[in-house]
Amino acid sequence: METRQALRPLGSSLSHATSSVTRSPAFRSIASRRHQSTTSRTKKMLKIPPHPDFLTPQSGQNHIIYNPPAAAPSVYHTPFKFLPKSDPRRQANLSQLVRSSTDLHASRSSLPPVSRATENREKKYNVTREQVEEMRHLRASDPVTWSVHKLAEKFQCGPFFVMMCCKASPEHKEKERQRLEAIKARWGPVRTKAREERQKRKVLLAQGAL
Amino acid sequence: MTIRALEKVSVGQNGVGAFILQCRKMDIHYCDQSGSSRGMNAFIKSQLSKFASRNPQIEFAVSPRPRKHPVLIGHYINGKHKSICVKNMDSLQILKKAELLRDASGEKIKRVNKPITSINESVRSVWSPYHGNGMPV
Amino acid sequence: MKRIRYQQLSRQWLATTPARSATPSQVSRLSRPAPTALHCQRRCQSSTSITPDEVFSEAEVHDSPEESTNIHEVRSKPLLPSPHPDRALRSAKLAALHARLSLSSKIPRQVLARALVDPSADAHPKFNNANLAFVGASLLQYHTSEWLVTRYPRLPMSILFAAMKGYAGDPALHRIARAWGVEAAAAPGEEVDPGYLQFSHNNPTVKMHKWGYARAESKELNKYKWRRGMSSRIVLDDPFGNLVDEPEDIPQETDGLEVSDARNKKDLVVQNVDKNAHANFVRAVVGAIYLHCGSETAKTFIKSHVLSRQLDLSNLFNFSLPQRELTRLCARENFDPPVARLLSETGRLSRTPVYVVGIYSGYDKLGEAAGPSLDAAKSAAAINALKSWYLYSPGEVGLPSDTFAEDAAPWKPVYVDIGEIIS
Repeated sequence: METRQALRPLGSSLSHATSSVTRSPAFRSIASRRHQSTTSRTKKMLKIPPHPDFLTPQSGQNHIIYNPPAAAPSVYHTPFKFLPKSDPRRQANLSQLVRSSTDLHASRSSLPPVSRATENREKKYNVTREQVEEMRHLRASDPVTWSVHKLAEKFQCGPFFVMMCCKASPEHKEKERQRLEAIKARWGPVRTKAREERQKRKVLLAQGAL
Repeated sequence: MTIRALEKVSVGQNGVGAFILQCRKMDIHYCDQSGSSRGMNAFIKSQLSKFASRNPQIEFAVSPRPRKHPVLIGHYINGKHKSICVKNMDSLQILKKAELLRDASGEKIKRVNKPITSINESVRSVWSPYHGNGMPV
Repeated sequence: MKRIRYQQLSRQWLATTPARSATPSQVSRLSRPAPTALHCQRRCQSSTSITPDEVFSEAEVHDSPEESTNIHEVRSKPLLPSPHPDRALRSAKLAALHARLSLSSKIPRQVLARALVDPSADAHPKFNNANLAFVGASLLQYHTSEWLVTRYPRLPMSILFAAMKGYAGDPALHRIARAWGVEAAAAPGEEVDPGYLQFSHNNPTVKMHKWGYARAESKELNKYKWRRGMSSRIVLDDPFGNLVDEPEDIPQETDGLEVSDARNKKDLVVQNVDKNAHANFVRAVVGAIYLHCGSETAKTFIKSHVLSRQLDLSNLFNFSLPQRELTRLCARENFDPPVARLLSETGRLSRTPVYVVGIYSGYDKLGEAAGPSLDAAKSAAAINALKSWYLYSPGEVGLPSDTFAEDAAPWKPVYVDIGEIIS
């Protein structure tokens, strides 16, 4: 009881806050409790302040409520960047252009993080013609030692580039294929089915049906 | 050739673009002798021609069925048919029944719980927990 | 896409029409030979004027003895392959169909009855719907393609073909005919009510393959599944991008017959007779409206019956390399290269994680999607971004056919895209 009373001023202050809610450990410990001892107390606990989008700003001036739907965006809604120069929507929405040019620094900090570290990698184009020749020579001489990943590491390029440059001999390919077959033969029914389903999911993803 | 196309067929909704009356044929059966057909005979004599000219989309077939009660049968585009026995009814009641058959869609009668049935996507789309400008609580 | 020559198309039909519908003399109708004796028909067509006796005598001369005896028997009660045009006025079914489609009274019921006769039921081109269907098909294809191209100027060619097929292909038209309440006769014949759709499963039906060219290598294309480029499909194949089969050993026909037995070859035969007949009926109705009421009415009819149907174009795409394509697009349009950014995630270490990935070019988000792994979400987001590029629509814009009207506003050019990203 004492903790709830102590919480009340905190809750009321939250309801007036326009910025996003900052969580305090004490608040979280109470809110995560499933139920209170009575219905009215439970209901009181579940009362949450309105979404910040719907609150009037402190200055009290007129504003437009922008609250996009909590749904996957429709593909029929063309992004601003994709609108052609002649489209009237581009002229009507000049603030977009202005935004992208002026507050670059503000938006740089607000951009979400990249999904993988490799996303930001710049193309280096560092491998010379002689190095490609050497790469081919190494791969032809001993494809087991000089695997694609080894070569990529040695010449500091991507494995995709190595595969573009050199081709393994048919014997090596055949050996690799047999090794893969042997691995696949050891798979049980569960793993086999899981791999098949993975392939099916891939097809469905390409069709946009997933 | 990186994009291949899937084959889909467009879906039509009656009334969007063009409206097709779903009742395509109406069978009218009567009996000359029996008393239960008295109203039906009057309907055929006095009102059927007017009703038919008002509804040219429907093919009317009038045929006697001796020693049977009079029947109205509506045939619909979806392949189903509805029949209404109109024994002992007067001609105005039969007209009401004929209009009922004309206006029916031929679908099975079912309870409509939702006020709107649509195949169009909603403006705000399907709610998803992963998108949008949510509020942390 | 393909140019239509309305005037040329309709001239031929109109030239033959009055002879048929205006003066359907009982004698000439009854003396028509059965469709088996088609070579005789061709002969009579080439003569300057057709007199019924001439047709009949030629049929007798050229037929084999037992056939000619049949004809002698038939003479007392000859059977026509399709109902007589005069009976169209007495058919309640036909009148109901006419009213159900809200057709103008300018379109005679005889023409509607003719639209219901498939070439497989009656091979005589003056009594079946082949010519009408041909005019109708060209109109349907023209209006569908112009509507799609102006509405979605960036659609890739393969999707445009699929969309054309979804709106104006055989399956869609078959459904339209079924929704109109058209019933098929069990078998065609003279005694059938003219309000039934008449086609025969026994007689092979020829494909209407006037659109597109038969490629020289069409047999190999079918047999070895050779690749057909999209550009060559535009130029050579039919309006839906399908291969036109090569007609084999067709004797040169110098006369005006559109459909004849000589063309009834095995590989030209349509697979689904029922579907083809229904689709041809819809095309023939459009053709009849064009001929009797003009192009504006035909356009309105197509708009209300065909283009008002719903087809979600975003479901037609099947991508193979979405991320590469998006990179190429951004390079072509001088956008910053696309970068996948993690918008939110949940349960990374659980069995069912969800990642929401957005694709950004510079500071602009191009697309976003949720997926069970980072790779799946990224490629789904790339697919969404590409779809929103391809499905750009300038909204309701004027169509080129709007300017055909008398007092039309001058044509305002619509947006034309430079083309596909990787073709």
